[in-house]
Amino acid sequence: MNAAACYFVRAMADENTEIAHGLRRRDPELLDRLIEEYQHRLLRYLMYLTGRRDLAEDFFQETWVRVLERGSQYDGRHEFSTWLFTIARNLVIDHLRRKRPASFDSLADPDGLAPFDIAATAQPSAFDTTVQREQNEQISAGMQHIAAEYRETLVLRFQEGMSLEEIANVTGAPLGTVKSRIYRGLSALQPWLKGARL
Amino acid sequence: MNPDLMNSDVHERARLMIALFGEERPGPEELSNAERSWLAAHLESCASCREFAENSRETIRLLRAIPITAGERLVSTTQMRVRQRAQELQRQQERFWVVCVCCAAVTLSTLVTTPVLWRGFAWMGEQARLSPPVWEGGFVVFYLMPAVLAGILLLARGTFLTDHNGSYQD
Repeated sequence: MNAAACYFVRAMADENTEIAHGLRRRDPELLDRLIEEYQHRLLRYLMYLTGRRDLAEDFFQETWVRVLERGSQYDGRHEFSTWLFTIARNLVIDHLRRKRPASFDSLADPDGLAPFDIAATAQPSAFDTTVQREQNEQISAGMQHIAAEYRETLVLRFQEGMSLEEIANVTGAPLGTVKSRIYRGLSALQPWLKGARL
Repeated sequence: MNPDLMNSDVHERARLMIALFGEERPGPEELSNAERSWLAAHLESCASCREFAENSRETIRLLRAIPITAGERLVSTTQMRVRQRAQELQRQQERFWVVCVCCAAVTLSTLVTTPVLWRGFAWMGEQARLSPPVWEGGFVVFYLMPAVLAGILLLARGTFLTDHNGSYQD
């Protein structure tokens, strides 16, 4: 490992330790900063997990309350994001157990698996904006139609950039299962890509 | 070489590699030099796997481009809720310490006063010409009465003495 990589790894470890200390103290400033820092990533993960924005927003708030309450359990040895996503996932699973549905898929919008609301993004031209938006909608629709386990794994891998081991930690699935889910998820999503290409 | 990739047929193996490490240029920690060379050679000769690789790259690019953002209102509401909960926990913690200090004070006071109280009851029993079991019984009742009353009050919490939030009614 070269010097820059060593420095980066040590800086990350220091940051995780600092977060662990802050969570043990229930430092409100730290929590405010973490909520802002992880807002988009956590909401995106929860939206793909639940398939509904309203539910995802409820779980978003619950997750941070749980982070406050269980902050002393975070030891700083793992990435904070891995711990955060594990808490969020467990909350959703607890909710599912109370409702007794069969899987994550049962949380999805019953009115026909509508794709997520895609926020309009600033693009150089109206044409580009339209193309991008339609592609996003197409791939979002695809995400809504594949199995929730595949969806979750794809989000963690390609949107959150987690390693295979980190995904296994968050989902509690064996490494082989994680690999299989990525492969199958990506394959299941490819037919939707044809619709996204204009 | 990764054993998971060894047991599949060549196309499956190539596609699994692409799906797992199919970034523009997988790093050496993801695929070994030999695996990367093998994959490159296979993609040169296999049109369907090449198409799978291109589709995967495009799918991953589109996945990363989906803009899902949390609104400012959600963030501020969450921050406020977390702060409120932190204050509640702080109050609970303070109450816990008050109870601990009270318990310690009561224990200390009991240790100091019990011998004195015992002698007092013995003296009163002698003066009133009571048999020892009688004044000893009186001592036990006197001694346990505050704890019994406190226990009854604590058990009544959450029933008719409290409101719906569990807080004590005056």
